[in-house]
Amino acid sequence: MVKMSLHLVQVMQKVSPSANGDSRASWEEDEEEDEEEDEDHLGLPTTTKPVTGRRARKVEGGVFFPKPENAVTVAVSSRVLFRTELEQKVFEQKGVEEYLRYQIEHENEPFAPGPAFPFVKALETVNARLRELYPQSEELFDIVLVTYNHAHVGIRLINTINHHNLFIERFCMTGGSSPIGYLKAWHTNLYLSADADKVREALAEGIAAATMFMTEKLTEVSESQLRVAFDGDAVLFSDESERIFKAHGLDKFFQHERDNEDTLLDHGPLKGFLEALGKLQKKFYAKGQRLDCPIRTYLVTARSAASSGIRALKTLRAWGLEIDEALFLAGAPKGPMLEKIRPHIYFDDQMFHVEGAAEMGTVAAHVPYGVAQKHNQPQNPGVRK
Amino acid sequence: MSEKEAKASAATEDPGEEKDWAAAKAFFDNLKTNKPRPPKPRYAVTVAVSSRTLFNMVAERKIYEEEGVEKYVAYQLDQENEPLAPGPAFPFVKALMTVNGRLRELYPDSEELFDIVLMTNNHAQVGVRLINSINHYDLTIERFCMTGGKSPTGYLKAYMTNLYLSKDSEKVSEAIEEGIAAATMFMAEKENELSDTELRVAFDGDAVLFSDESEIIVKEHGLDTFFEHEKEFENKPLAQGPLKCFLEALGKLQRKFYAKNERMNCPIRTFLVTARSAASSGARVLKTLRSWGLEIDEALFLAGAPKGPLLHKIKPHIFFDDQMFHIEGAQELGTISAHVPYGIGQKYHKGKRIEPPAKKE
Repeated sequence: MVKMSLHLVQVMQKVSPSANGDSRASWEEDEEEDEEEDEDHLGLPTTTKPVTGRRARKVEGGVFFPKPENAVTVAVSSRVLFRTELEQKVFEQKGVEEYLRYQIEHENEPFAPGPAFPFVKALETVNARLRELYPQSEELFDIVLVTYNHAHVGIRLINTINHHNLFIERFCMTGGSSPIGYLKAWHTNLYLSADADKVREALAEGIAAATMFMTEKLTEVSESQLRVAFDGDAVLFSDESERIFKAHGLDKFFQHERDNEDTLLDHGPLKGFLEALGKLQKKFYAKGQRLDCPIRTYLVTARSAASSGIRALKTLRAWGLEIDEALFLAGAPKGPMLEKIRPHIYFDDQMFHVEGAAEMGTVAAHVPYGVAQKHNQPQNPGVRK
Repeated sequence: MSEKEAKASAATEDPGEEKDWAAAKAFFDNLKTNKPRPPKPRYAVTVAVSSRTLFNMVAERKIYEEEGVEKYVAYQLDQENEPLAPGPAFPFVKALMTVNGRLRELYPDSEELFDIVLMTNNHAQVGVRLINSINHYDLTIERFCMTGGKSPTGYLKAYMTNLYLSKDSEKVSEAIEEGIAAATMFMAEKENELSDTELRVAFDGDAVLFSDESEIIVKEHGLDTFFEHEKEFENKPLAQGPLKCFLEALGKLQRKFYAKNERMNCPIRTFLVTARSAASSGARVLKTLRSWGLEIDEALFLAGAPKGPLLHKIKPHIFFDDQMFHIEGAQELGTISAHVPYGIGQKYHKGKRIEPPAKKE
């Protein structure tokens, strides 16, 4: 009997909740070091550390493969999860065959983390906490890798995922055809990609989606709490107010907002995702963990509180959505605020704000929706890559 | 008449006779069909279909089962001029012919095409109705095997069959045991609109393309042991499964298109739709395919998610899987599926072990 109980202790240690996805309790023998950002002659960082031995995960005794309809599914593309600028260059300059050959050659070299990487890591932290509290529930985050890439590149992606200790088990490698059709089949709640066209397609299909950009400067984000910041108009809410503002100016806008204070705003593309976050937050509140909740949501809007804020708050209340922190900036720049908040991701519909945030090191995602798209020209098309 | 006279008369009649010969030759040349000749089995990718998969013969089948052979044959003779409705394999066969058309354009003299053989248990009397139906739909099926009751397995081998599709699972099991890729077809409950320019074939991974060795480990030892095992043997290729050779044949034809720079426009597209998890067990699958020199166009790792919705988006002309559970899921959403009765998956249904039904005499 003594033998058995020892064995039990060993097993439990391996399945400790923080193990999956938390970089502190590493599966690997050697500690996971962050890749040195050596710059090669192209001025792009390269990683030269080969993949070391990794042990298999333990999945029995917990829900690790939730059904897509029960989970909050986040689809990411390979270009936002990892940094693949070098490979992109090879593809553009030398064509498909050379690109595939290059990828196969460098199969055992893991990619460096991309803009969506901290976000995905944070999702896994939340999952670990959810499994602790609700071991049999399928209401977890589920991450699916959806990529245009060909199956040949799959091995390098798998090696990288294992190297970084991520738990991404669902893949869609479409070898060149559009992955948008598959998003619905996965009941996707959020789609992140580096390609604005795909994001627009997804938005047109009614799926919350945003374009992510790589920032050179990355502020450190929390490892224990997922923080998501949203803009208000044309992200959580529809762009109706934005239209009035652009067409008739600030005064008319205030007038309109005051007159229609009690009319709800129409919903925007990311309302569904906020809803999904709220559903998971309530699970923590139900277990008395409100103060310790690993999900925190922020509203960062250029609206002015007294003149137009009430309508926003009343709308949120009517939808039954809670938002943890609301910042009304009345036109002040968002960058410094976001730098203090340090969200894992910030959604905005105007490139101007996205760039401002990126300059100060916040990972920002652009939601190409609404009337603001016609007014703003992208400042620098190179940023897309 | 003497010889000399005959010769003389022949000489004088020459111009007239020449004309006759020319006319006769012209007439004969016109008799030659413009329809393309079927390829030799050795070079072609031969797909054998049964009459019940090609056409919808549900009503006829009922008559056969309830009223007996004589009534059945009489009924068929009666209805000879009525073309049959399309069956589950019909869109697949049509797509094969489209690919053939493209191949003939690019390689007019090559024999590396799809060849479709009708392999049926029916009696020769029913043949007329089948031929009428085939002509009605303008299919190019020139090779028939009407076995009148005998097992078709021997003929399959003679035709060097690359794929055999039937509604009868016993014949399919026999064929698989003989090493011929085979599957039992099921009609979809709804009809999805399928591409008529691109042949789309979706495969399951374990026990279809690969052997069922990994499946055995999951069913007997659980997921964790399976993941460990896959990690340990990541670089050891899996053994091949019953449909590996058909994928190989498809790949061979695909390369013919790539060679002519038609990669973006290739009319054959292959999909891997597997319940495996990518990070924990996907590497071995991809490495195995690579070691066989096979390319697959799209790979979807589902980690246990239901296959139905994704197949509904892929819209394949045929989907091969070894577990009835997945076949049923696919059917519900309109995908034409084919069951490959191979491996340990046959003894389980939805994760529970079932007793195999007693073999019929």
